[in-house]
Amino acid sequence: MAQGSSCWGCFQSLIDIHLNLATVLPALDIKYWQAVVDYKLADLEGYPDKSIAVGLYEGMVRTEEDAHLLKIMRAKCQTLIAFGTCSCFGGIPGMANFSDIEECLDVKFRENPTTSGNVIPSENIPALEPVVVPNNTIVDFDIYLPGCPPTSRLILTAVSALLSGSPIELEPHTVCHYCDREKKETPVEKILRPYEGIADPDRCLLEQGYICVGSATWGLCEGQCVNKGVTCRGCYGPPPPVFQDQGANAISMMGTYAPLTPEEIKEQVKDPLGTFNRFTYTTSHLGSIRIKREEAKNK
Amino acid sequence: MTDEKVIRIDPVTRLEGHGSLTIKLGPGNKVKDVQFNVNSTRFFEKFLEGRPMEEAPRIAPRICGICPIPHHLASVKAVEAAWGVTPPPAAIKLRRLMIEAKQLSSHAIHFYALAAPDFVFGPFADPSVRNVAAVLKHLPDVAVQAIKLMEFGQELIKTVGAKAVHPTTAIPGGQLAPLTEEDRDLFLGKVPEMLDNIHKTVDLAKTVVNAYIDVITKIAVTPTYYIGMNNKGVHDIYDGTIRVMDTEGKIVADFEPKDYTQHYGEHVAKHSYATHIYHKPAGYPEGIWRANTLARCNVVEKMATPLADAALTEMRELIGRPSHHTFAYHYARIVELVQAAEWCKILLEDPDICNTDVKLSDVEPRAGDGVGMVEAPRGTLMHNYVSDDKGMLVKANLIVATNNNIAGIEKSLMTAAKQVFEDKAHESLKLPDPLVKT
Repeated sequence: MAQGSSCWGCFQSLIDIHLNLATVLPALDIKYWQAVVDYKLADLEGYPDKSIAVGLYEGMVRTEEDAHLLKIMRAKCQTLIAFGTCSCFGGIPGMANFSDIEECLDVKFRENPTTSGNVIPSENIPALEPVVVPNNTIVDFDIYLPGCPPTSRLILTAVSALLSGSPIELEPHTVCHYCDREKKETPVEKILRPYEGIADPDRCLLEQGYICVGSATWGLCEGQCVNKGVTCRGCYGPPPPVFQDQGANAISMMGTYAPLTPEEIKEQVKDPLGTFNRFTYTTSHLGSIRIKREEAKNK
Repeated sequence: MTDEKVIRIDPVTRLEGHGSLTIKLGPGNKVKDVQFNVNSTRFFEKFLEGRPMEEAPRIAPRICGICPIPHHLASVKAVEAAWGVTPPPAAIKLRRLMIEAKQLSSHAIHFYALAAPDFVFGPFADPSVRNVAAVLKHLPDVAVQAIKLMEFGQELIKTVGAKAVHPTTAIPGGQLAPLTEEDRDLFLGKVPEMLDNIHKTVDLAKTVVNAYIDVITKIAVTPTYYIGMNNKGVHDIYDGTIRVMDTEGKIVADFEPKDYTQHYGEHVAKHSYATHIYHKPAGYPEGIWRANTLARCNVVEKMATPLADAALTEMRELIGRPSHHTFAYHYARIVELVQAAEWCKILLEDPDICNTDVKLSDVEPRAGDGVGMVEAPRGTLMHNYVSDDKGMLVKANLIVATNNNIAGIEKSLMTAAKQVFEDKAHESLKLPDPLVKT
């Protein structure tokens, strides 16, 4: 288990298999897992190639060290899993690509109301990558396990299959399949922001005007947000085939449901990129153009 | 040729987050420098800009997957402060239930999975056994009580927040889902077993504290300032003012969150992407403060619940107030664990907790500058957002929990490094036999 730049939420979700830990953990011979055991990077680097049966890589590549760790994991592991949405699609931190790296550094270090001194850290720490690229453009993965984070149930299903040597069987449905709300196929008259009014608890949130990208999102979550009255923001990425463009699908779904002019949609949606590509910007068509622009700049 | 030696510990293990250590030794093993290198940063403050502000509570939790609930709540409080919105009382109770449930599971995971392997197997055990997987193997009863505590907290968060990690139900103006009576009764039914596991944890912690008292009182004892939330002197993690205590134990500030810029200074260290936070009037490095469990227990007069308050009194009788004992963070964690458990019980028993009036229907965005603060398990958490008149987020400033500790960690590491490399203080420590010999 290795962690690039990440929040460790996938790790927490793994811990949340609760009493199943008592059977899963003793079945593992852990070779590297910085949250759990004291092996160092040099230990991992020293293992023979392909000597580790299964590796999970959580997080995205923000630094040179993240990239190094990802490549080392690929070299040492027979099966490498992209663990969680950041590892599969760039995730929320991929939204840093909306700006240039210098603008990011300005906000955090140079022009922040509580910092001073105009210093950018650089000593004994790995350099930042100028742009976030998807992990699968750096190495190949054998398995993608998306989710922000993947549910504990999904993790347990995957780990149990790996331990028994059987394939991981995942249902292909979207979030809507698991949503208890009723769809009446009525058009959206006005797009509402999520705090507006009180939603009808029994009707499709999208049909009530609340932007919900459940129909463009893989339902491995089993509808946990929509069934608590919360709109989907797409944290599991697109359904299989997993590299279709979730944002483009979500926008086209909006167009189908809302018979509004493009100008009205633009005015009412407020933030299309941050809404429809929140978790998948780096692997989207638009995001790949952004990465190519950066590459052209560096040539 | 140089006599300088550099020791790198990469990565630091059994913590949440990314860090390494660099220790520079001169001739005669004189410690010349200690650096705590935090190795990455993801720029949330930048990409929150331009988002509709009500989306911030759905984005900001991804800063930390171990403590997403405090981020979710500090974020929604910042939006509500900027827009001048006050959610219904029952919504605040649900939020408090979520943050107390997180405090419970986070403190349990820290004590059992991150810290306990050192105490159970001894600090010099082989890395292959000094971990939680080995605790499961050698002490299955202890492991099960740990797992059950974590399960209680995480499942309660999922029930109130839709997801255990990165919850989604808090929204400007309240909560999107009330707690059903059926769910409330389910958790009330589990309270006695949970409290029983709390008592067992307290007993284990006391055994550990007594066995390692020499380490606690001698190693890495480092005076710093402390920061923590309080409500009229009482320990509070959801709402209150922010106290700052100096190295002598004097309360030198007790401020409203909105006034944070007068008190917070961020020093950008060349060797860490995480900044060093200090009390601005005292300056850097004199005003370096620490947050987290011991800091909170230092700044408050008392705990909010009876068993926790008795535990705090007992801790103060043993190590005093303020305590600068870095290893006493574990002790204070147990005091707070007790309080979180008591709070969960109190809130679940509150007849208002299933009230369905949990969301306003008439929230209006407006231009404003809002600060939301809560206590995350690892320290005081601050979100500051500026909104335009359409409710779009224009500027964000975040000072997250662990950030408050980076400079303090480095300072206490310097103390410990001098003790180890210059004085060999670790060789004369009274260490108990490991609970489990491997």
